[in-house]
Amino acid sequence: MFEDRPDLVDRIVTHLRRPVQIDPALDGRVMQEIAQVDTGRRPGAAVAAWRWLIRPRQFVVSPLGALTAAAGLAAVVWALSGRGVPAVPPAEDAPREFQFVVVAPRAARVALVGDFNDWDATRTPMRPSQRGGPVWTAVLHLSPGRYRYAFLVDGSRWLADPAAPHARDDEFGAPSSVVTVGGS
Amino acid sequence: MTALSGDTRPPVERVTRPPDAGKSDGTAPSVGIPKVGTSDGELVRRVLAGDTGAYAALVARYRDRLGRYAVHMLGDRQDAEEALQDAFVRAHRSLARCDDPERFGAWLYGILVNRCRTTGGRAARRARLFVRDDAALSGVPLPSPAERAEWDDTVRWALGQLAPEYREAFLLKHVEDLEYEEMAQLTGAGISALKMRVKRAREQLQIIFREAERV
Repeated sequence: MFEDRPDLVDRIVTHLRRPVQIDPALDGRVMQEIAQVDTGRRPGAAVAAWRWLIRPRQFVVSPLGALTAAAGLAAVVWALSGRGVPAVPPAEDAPREFQFVVVAPRAARVALVGDFNDWDATRTPMRPSQRGGPVWTAVLHLSPGRYRYAFLVDGSRWLADPAAPHARDDEFGAPSSVVTVGGS
Repeated sequence: MTALSGDTRPPVERVTRPPDAGKSDGTAPSVGIPKVGTSDGELVRRVLAGDTGAYAALVARYRDRLGRYAVHMLGDRQDAEEALQDAFVRAHRSLARCDDPERFGAWLYGILVNRCRTTGGRAARRARLFVRDDAALSGVPLPSPAERAEWDDTVRWALGQLAPEYREAFLLKHVEDLEYEEMAQLTGAGISALKMRVKRAREQLQIIFREAERV
């Protein structure tokens, strides 16, 4: 005959309800995996179409063909003159917006430093996504190029970006990461 | 049905007692998830708008609470963290399919429950950790007294003796304090089946502890 002992079950439950501390570094691993997934994600149809349109191509044109094309272009320009400029895609060398993210749960302040701000810790302070929150972000507009960067935590601790390739050619000894902007 | 709802409290309010903890018996310690500021719904919307950093706030918010379930369910911290990480990544990938962003926590819970089932199945095949039927349960060799010296070890060991579906139901009902309706949504099982599993889990835990006391 089974004898119910709810006190024993209560004791087990009370024990199991104690907080379990999970490694806070899991946050960074999750965000890193998400960043990798995002990087490797196949582009949508619109992005694929745009890339197809801007892909460099070679054309062989006869002098007569070139003359015809020039005449056609002139006609188009003439037809559009006075009607405003049509929207054009951003130039290849136009600055692009980049969001930098780092998880630093115990940081009081975090600065983004890199080639883009002469490694000046005062120029790009990062902001917590919520007050006292562990996630710090900064948004920069970067022209095409290759930039080394790092996060400076509380003015003394250097962190490379776990979600980006590490710089191999860092001459300062501190860990740093690399972001490449544009078609280089 | 409020236990897994997202936080909609005003900013900078720290919840010292989670909405799911010890609502009836008052014996449960506070197992607070620090929820400061932005609601789940707002964070989900920001992530969907391209603010990846907002997702890290959701991860930090739910890490420990969901981790507790995974640790108890899988009995192994490394497996638990693996399942938890997998659940977070999968949830991010499918975030647009979260019908009610304010109940992101409940939705995420469902994903974790499934990941724990998968991981638990792998672990069982790997280590034959779980015993799946009563006959086998009665023949389980008990650990030595030294191994059972700590209550923590004993509880973990006893949980490991339960069939996964019993352990799952017991943890969701008694530890995570969910209603049966919520458990049914998460597990896909019927309410009567879940009630039976919880009852059997309680009985088996008591049998296991009684057996352990005799040794």
